[in-house]
Amino acid sequence: MIARLLLRVVSWSVMAYLILPLLVIVGSSFTATSYLAFPPQGLTLDWYGRMLADNSYLAAFGTSTLLALVATAAALLLGVPAALAIARCEFPGKKFLLSLLMSPLVLPHVVLGAALLQYCAALGLMRSFTALLVGHIVIIMPFVLRSVLPQLTPEQRALEEASADLGARPMETFFLVTLPQIRSGLASGAIFAFISSWINVELSIFNTTAEMTTIPVKLFNYVQYTIDPVIAAVSSITIGVAALAIILLDLTVGLHLLSDRR
Amino acid sequence: MSAAMNRALPLLAAPVAFFVAFFAVPMIVVVSSSLMAGGVPSLGNYARVLFDQYHWDVLAATFRIAGLTTVACALLGYPLAYYLVRVVKSPALRRTCVILLVLPLFTSNIVRSFGWMVLLGRNGLVNDALVGVGILDRPMRFLGTELGIVIGLVYILLPFIVLAVGNALAAVDPALEDASSDLGATPFDTFRTVTFPLCLPGLMSGIVMVFTLAVSAYVTPALLSGGKITVFPMLIFQQYSTVFDVNYGGALSMTLLVMTLVLVGLAGWIGNAGASATGRKAQ
Repeated sequence: MIARLLLRVVSWSVMAYLILPLLVIVGSSFTATSYLAFPPQGLTLDWYGRMLADNSYLAAFGTSTLLALVATAAALLLGVPAALAIARCEFPGKKFLLSLLMSPLVLPHVVLGAALLQYCAALGLMRSFTALLVGHIVIIMPFVLRSVLPQLTPEQRALEEASADLGARPMETFFLVTLPQIRSGLASGAIFAFISSWINVELSIFNTTAEMTTIPVKLFNYVQYTIDPVIAAVSSITIGVAALAIILLDLTVGLHLLSDRR
Repeated sequence: MSAAMNRALPLLAAPVAFFVAFFAVPMIVVVSSSLMAGGVPSLGNYARVLFDQYHWDVLAATFRIAGLTTVACALLGYPLAYYLVRVVKSPALRRTCVILLVLPLFTSNIVRSFGWMVLLGRNGLVNDALVGVGILDRPMRFLGTELGIVIGLVYILLPFIVLAVGNALAAVDPALEDASSDLGATPFDTFRTVTFPLCLPGLMSGIVMVFTLAVSAYVTPALLSGGKITVFPMLIFQQYSTVFDVNYGGALSMTLLVMTLVLVGLAGWIGNAGASATGRKAQ
C-alpha cells in the first residue's frame, strides 16, 4: 500500500518535472513585464509582435523549415530503397551496411558536425546550406529505417509476390502494393526525421553563419547573452510546432508507445 | 547470391554513395587530420590529449555529470514507466501522459535548457520555492554548478529511459506476474524475480542511450554551466570554432568517439551476458 502510494507520488512528481520548464516558457512569453516573469504579470502578445517584426527570426524559421523539409524528403528517397534492399535481399555485408546506416544514432553529433565542417570546407561548401543539408540527411536517415524496416515483413512480401505473379511491373508493385502497406511507417519515420532536423543544434552549430542560421542555433547564440520575453515567444512557437507534430503523429499512425498492442 | 546482388544494387547505390560521401569520408578526414601535426604525420595531438592534466579534469567532470545523470534518470524514469504501463488503467490518461512525455523530446535542447536557466536562476521558481518552504534559508546557486547541469540533462534525457523501460514492460505478459502471485509470491517478490529481470534489457538499453547522450551533450552544459564548467564536447567545439586547430580538434573528437563506442560495446556485452543469464535473447 505504502509502495503504491510512493510510486504514485514519484510518478506524478516526475510528470510535473517534465512539464514545468515548458509551462514556464510558454507562460512567461505572455508577460507584460520587460523581463522574464513567471507566473506572467499581466497579459500581452507584444513579444510575439516583436518577433514577427524582426526579419532575422522569420528568416531562421524559414531556413529551419526548408532544411527539415528537404532533408526529410531526401532521407525518405534514400532510406526507403535501402530498407527494401535490406529487408528483401540477401547479400554479403548486409549487417555491416545496416549498422553503418544506423550509426549516426550513437555517434556524438558534435563529432559529426566538426567532421562535416572540415570536409565541406575542403570541398568549398563551408558553412553553406548544402553542408547543413547533407549533415541533417545523415542524422535523420536512421529514423526512416527504424520506422520502415519492421513493416517490411514476410507476410507483406507475399503480397508483393502475388502482385508480380499477376503481371505487375516492379514499379507498379512498389507504388500499388508496397507503399500503401508501409504507409504508417513512412509517416512516423518522416515526422520523427522532420522534427529531429528541425530541433538539431549540435550538428548545425558548426555549419551556420550569422546570416544563414536555423532557429535553434539562433536561439542558442541569443540565450547565452540575453534572456528576454521575445526569446520566450520564439521558444513557445517551437513548442507549438512540437505539439503539432505529436498530434499529427497520433492522428495518422497513433502513438503506440507504452502499450502492448502494436 | 549474385541474383540477389543484382536486385539489391540499384536500391542501394544512391544511399550507400551518399553515406560514403558525406559520412564515411568526412570521418576518415577527421581521423587522418588528427594524425597530422605541423604538416607531418604525428601522434602528437593524441599525446597532448593524454598528457594534459586539464583534459583529465574535464574528462572526469564529463563522466561524473553523465554518471549522475544516468543514475538519476534510471531512478526517476523506472517508477514512472512502471506506473504508466502497469498502474494507470485509463487509456485516455495514459495517452495524455505519453504525449506529455514525447513533447519535450520534440522540443529543442535549447528551449528546454532555456527553461531551466529561468527556473534555476537566483530569483527563479526553484529557489523561491525552496526558500519559501524553508528547505533553504537563502537562494542557492544552481547555474554554473555541476548540479545545475545534471538537473538540466536529467530533464533532457529522462523521456528516453521511460520509453525504453516502458516499452520493455509493455511487452511482458501480465499473466506471468499473475501466475507468480497466484503461487504465493508477494508483490515485491514478483517484481524482484519476474518483472524486473524481464525488462532489464529495456532498462539497459535506456541506460546506455542516456549515458552516451550525456557524455556527448554540448548545448545543455554550455547553457547551464554559466561558463564555469567545461565538459569534453566543449573542448571540441572550441578547437573548431575559435582556435581553428583541426588536427588537435580531430584528436579530441576521436577520443570522445572511441570512449562512446567502448561504452556502447561494453553495455552491449553486459546486456548479452545478463540476457543469457536470465535465458533471454537481447533485443
